[in-house]
Amino acid sequence: MSCHSIRPLLPARAEELTPLEASMRAEHVAGCSRCAAESAAYSRLGQALAVMAHLEAEPPEGTLERILVVIGRRRTRVTDPRVLAAAGSAGALVATVVVARALRQRRHAQVVPAASWPRRLRLPGLPVPTAALARAK
Amino acid sequence: MEVDRELVEAAQAGDRWALEELVRRTHRSVYTCALRLVGNPDDAADVTQDVYLRVVRKLGGFRHEASFATWLNRVTTNVAMSTLKRRTRRFAVEGAAVPADTRDPAPEPAERAEAVALARRLELLVAELPEGQRQVLVLRDVYGQSTEEVANAMGLTPGAVKVRLFRARERLKAELEAAEGGQVVALSGRRRATGRRS
Repeated sequence: MSCHSIRPLLPARAEELTPLEASMRAEHVAGCSRCAAESAAYSRLGQALAVMAHLEAEPPEGTLERILVVIGRRRTRVTDPRVLAAAGSAGALVATVVVARALRQRRHAQVVPAASWPRRLRLPGLPVPTAALARAK
Repeated sequence: MEVDRELVEAAQAGDRWALEELVRRTHRSVYTCALRLVGNPDDAADVTQDVYLRVVRKLGGFRHEASFATWLNRVTTNVAMSTLKRRTRRFAVEGAAVPADTRDPAPEPAERAEAVALARRLELLVAELPEGQRQVLVLRDVYGQSTEEVANAMGLTPGAVKVRLFRARERLKAELEAAEGGQVVALSGRRRATGRRS
């Protein structure tokens, strides 16, 4: 491979290349001092860029205080998932109890007591006695 | 950015002191990342504040699958990118993106001193890159995000990210060599002198 065709591969990190590209680059760099120097320079550049992550700039004065004030206002919301889960479970339990009670009350109010049904109409497979039938009896 | 897991868990459990301590320990790092991405101090300070508002909302969902620093960095990236999409840039970078008052979080070992010095010089050169190239380079090479993560954050294809990366690295290396007077910069403490001594 010529220097010209290898050149686009030189700035790439190893994990950004396909295995074929990586082996082509390695093979060429091993035999070409100019491309080897280029490759080494890119490697050093990459190391220096990674070091940049550890450098910190000082924010404008008052930035920290402003953040603390703003999050202090917003932090009243519960964010702990355990607390949220417990609150959700309790809510679901209360809702279940309320709905169950309401249904039970409704059933008691609407359903004609079985004891008042005509005995012959309580056989399985027969139509449910209507109020009119009950009255007729 | 040094953050204990215990501190994060305490903040997640609603400990007010822990949350504030978390902010105190990380806000410079968040601000620096934001500054490198958005390019000016005012927007970077706004982004920093927005980051912590989002952190307060989302901290409960943080599962410690990645480190807190990585998670915070992703939040910062997303907030910065959203900010950039919303706003037209108020003024050109013109060196404003350079964290002029950089401070090292901890004393550097002697063998890293040159790397730090080089990184400081690089900071100036990175700030001069075109915005798209700068953002890709910062996310990928400074903060170590994957090409796919960078593509997602910036709304680009991985191919477009690679193209920008290539151009940014090529340009940066050329400018660094020019700034160093033609020397090939080494971190090992030795330089291959091809020009003047610095």
